[in-house]
Amino acid sequence: MPKLTMDAEVNGRKVRREIQPYSRLLDFLRDNLNLTGTKEGCGAGECGTCSVFVNGKLVKSCLMPAAKAQGTRIETIEGLAGLGDLTPVQRAFHKTGASQCGYCIPGMVMAATAALRENPGADIEEIKERLGGNICRCTGYTKIFEAVEMAKAVIAGDAPETVLEEDKVGDSYIGANVRRLDAPSKVSGRLKYAADMKMHDMLQMQVLRSPLAHAKILSIDTSEAEAMEDVVCVITEEDVPGNDGFGVFVHDQPIMARGKVRHVGEAIAAVAAENVLTARKALSKIKVEYEALPGLYDPADAMKPGAPVIHDYAPDNLVKHIPVRKGNVEKGFAEADLILEDDFRTQQVEHAYLEPEAGIAYVDPDDVVVVISPSQNITHHRHMLAEIIAKPINKVRFIMSPVGGGFGGKEDMIYQGMLALCAMKTHRPVQLNFTREESLIASAKRHPARIHYKMGLTLNGRITAISFDMLSDGGAYGMSSEGVMRKAAILSCGPYEVKNLKVDTRAVYTNNTPSGAFRTFGAMQAQFATESMMDMAAEALGMDPFEIRRINMMKIGAKTHTQQTLETASLDRVLEAAETASRWEKGVPNVRGAERDDLNGPDTRQPCTLGARIKGSRNETHPYEKVA
Amino acid sequence: MLTCDAYHMPGSLTEALKLWSETSDGSRLVSGATDILPWAREGRAGDVHVPELVDVTRIAELDGYAFENGRVRLGARTVYQDFLTDRILMQNLPCMPHCAIWFADDQIRTQASLTGNLVNASPVADGTPAVVALNGEIELARLDSGKIVRRSVPVIDFIEGPGQTRIARDEIATAIILDNASGYGGSFQKVGQRRSLVISIACAAGLVKTDHNGRVFDDVRLAIGGVGPRPIRLTEAEQALKGARISHERIAHVAQTAADTVGSRSRQEYRREVVVNFVRAAIEDALANQPNVTISFEDTEEEAHA
Repeated sequence: MPKLTMDAEVNGRKVRREIQPYSRLLDFLRDNLNLTGTKEGCGAGECGTCSVFVNGKLVKSCLMPAAKAQGTRIETIEGLAGLGDLTPVQRAFHKTGASQCGYCIPGMVMAATAALRENPGADIEEIKERLGGNICRCTGYTKIFEAVEMAKAVIAGDAPETVLEEDKVGDSYIGANVRRLDAPSKVSGRLKYAADMKMHDMLQMQVLRSPLAHAKILSIDTSEAEAMEDVVCVITEEDVPGNDGFGVFVHDQPIMARGKVRHVGEAIAAVAAENVLTARKALSKIKVEYEALPGLYDPADAMKPGAPVIHDYAPDNLVKHIPVRKGNVEKGFAEADLILEDDFRTQQVEHAYLEPEAGIAYVDPDDVVVVISPSQNITHHRHMLAEIIAKPINKVRFIMSPVGGGFGGKEDMIYQGMLALCAMKTHRPVQLNFTREESLIASAKRHPARIHYKMGLTLNGRITAISFDMLSDGGAYGMSSEGVMRKAAILSCGPYEVKNLKVDTRAVYTNNTPSGAFRTFGAMQAQFATESMMDMAAEALGMDPFEIRRINMMKIGAKTHTQQTLETASLDRVLEAAETASRWEKGVPNVRGAERDDLNGPDTRQPCTLGARIKGSRNETHPYEKVA
Repeated sequence: MLTCDAYHMPGSLTEALKLWSETSDGSRLVSGATDILPWAREGRAGDVHVPELVDVTRIAELDGYAFENGRVRLGARTVYQDFLTDRILMQNLPCMPHCAIWFADDQIRTQASLTGNLVNASPVADGTPAVVALNGEIELARLDSGKIVRRSVPVIDFIEGPGQTRIARDEIATAIILDNASGYGGSFQKVGQRRSLVISIACAAGLVKTDHNGRVFDDVRLAIGGVGPRPIRLTEAEQALKGARISHERIAHVAQTAADTVGSRSRQEYRREVVVNFVRAAIEDALANQPNVTISFEDTEEEAHA
């Protein structure tokens, strides 16, 4: 294929490289120049982790063919400060603690730098607009905006440079602004995530994924793919030497589909080749014959008698049922003056960490299989992989690379096994970098839940009994479902002392994308129902919502839902702080007037506005959009 | 993933037209490239190989803009960010800055051209209603016996359906020609799920000019996108308002009627409801954005200041 000679000035140095005519600017920077501070978070211009300056204009390098930058002056995160001190923007990000996982941060620093270069006097609305193309999933943006405003003041001379320096810590670290030790490596783009690492002689892996949700695999023919030039190996479940199966609780998931597929996006085979393009082409040469099976897409259907069975070991499709019983609910409901009953539903949610899954595996000279990946659970992965590849534990090593956001989504060993197999089969380092689409289709999601709730109360607001029944869609594999159900059950009825309760949480198998760990681990779904019930109870009883919570809150000496006696309790202080911070006006939630002072206050997020820089544009809400 | 055998960056129009006419089938013209790269990914076209890509952004003749016969001729290299940075364009094409600020984000706007957006012919392209409201025409050039031949097509006719236009195989779009709407108030409405980087569910552009007392509509232009395969100009609504006394009630009435005409083309109840609010907001925002005129509504004492 004809190559293209690329000439550019990158971070002040002239460079010339031979590149592919279809290379993106991002590929040129990362692959040809090793400037890996510029990240690939989505490859579709949505996330901004790849922002760089081209002739002084900020662009998304994943959306720019490299040829377009021919002869231009390019500035990347590495070039902002060079080897010298960090820039005021970078230092401000360090100071405010704006970097957490750090994966969005190089792009965010570039966007902040661009905003202040374009308009050093930009107000906060304009800054927000100009950073609109960059996504962060850790911070909620507050600290990022704080950093940009701080840098702006320093650059303009409105604040002394000393504001960027470390705050002195007094007697206690609690309440002090403590420096993040890893921030300089993140704001400078120097930190290497798994996709940024390169090893000599390294292969690239790609994964063939199922287009069907539930089907028998009749045959897999990899011969054509294996015969391709530059393809080094193709693996399927047949290559697994040990006991195949992983999962956080139940080891029900093979590292590649074994006999059948259970969800769209399940791995079937993987190819390791000299480059990504060849590996991708090889995937299209693998022939898989399927026999479609009836699928389950609704957790309620999964529990019906005669429903299709997804895993042979679980003929009832039940992943886990956690029952909690305390007191006597019948008696509790009999004592109630008021019984409220309702149903709640939550949806599937993707973690959308900015760093797509990535990893490298190699076999070291002592025959130790080494896997480097941003895994949130390396010790467990190591034990499981040793079983799967039939090696003693001392011949398996896991190295945790910096995690560019996980939120629970990187607890499952969904690709490390394939990497290990390819490395063992080729004795060469092998790398796999997920695309964003692949990450979305293959990784676990937050459990969608259905909750049937029944709450009995006395007229003075005291809860007498709760019956809480949660059905969760576990998807095709068990993953963290058991733990999520356990935590959902333990925390089900909230921080309230309930003498009589009957709690059941169940996760069932379906042919949907597997559900797994996600921040709060099941508590969020339960609290959505419980706190909604508390508000509705307040409304029904004509009580203040804080008041009804205080009446029922767990205090020192209270027995939790699982009958633990509390030696400490802080809900009284939490409620007080929340009441003050929200400027709550006492009263029944549904009978207070339109002129509430606790709405639209200084801490309330205003509706999105646009056009901060269009002269004469109106930013205020239009009269007919105002809530009556 | 998008791959190609060759990437061309011609420097002149003649060179570009010659190259383009000689490319093998399946080759593509590239302007900002901000749509073609995401297009060649899973969920859209998947991995795509095209024989050749011809990049039009280094063709000197497509640069800049000029004022001709009361019209503004934008070279095909004009990008969305220009409508937010070039004071002359902002003043003379008053709905364009409001359209541009909703379009993608600052970084993509520096690359994405208005012409590319129109040639792509997405039914939800933000640029289409704004250009249609400005009576836009697209200029197409081709080589005939070595000479450049140009023709212009009104954009409302040029876009025939999703991805379908009247451009011929050997043509390159070289300019967009728009009414000079200096003195008009402009507006743009969009429904999407967030502020930046969101594709419209529906969008609308408005242009309004009143008499100097701010009492009567002299001219009204309304166009909507995302509610059908082709651009829609709301000519009946425009006619109903032209020459009429400005009042909230009249605007609301016209908005309702406009939705009825559109409703027959779009089956979705939600979009129909959106259109009612869009038309009203497009007119009221455009009135408020009109420079140097204070609007006097017949039915209220309320005044909107520019």
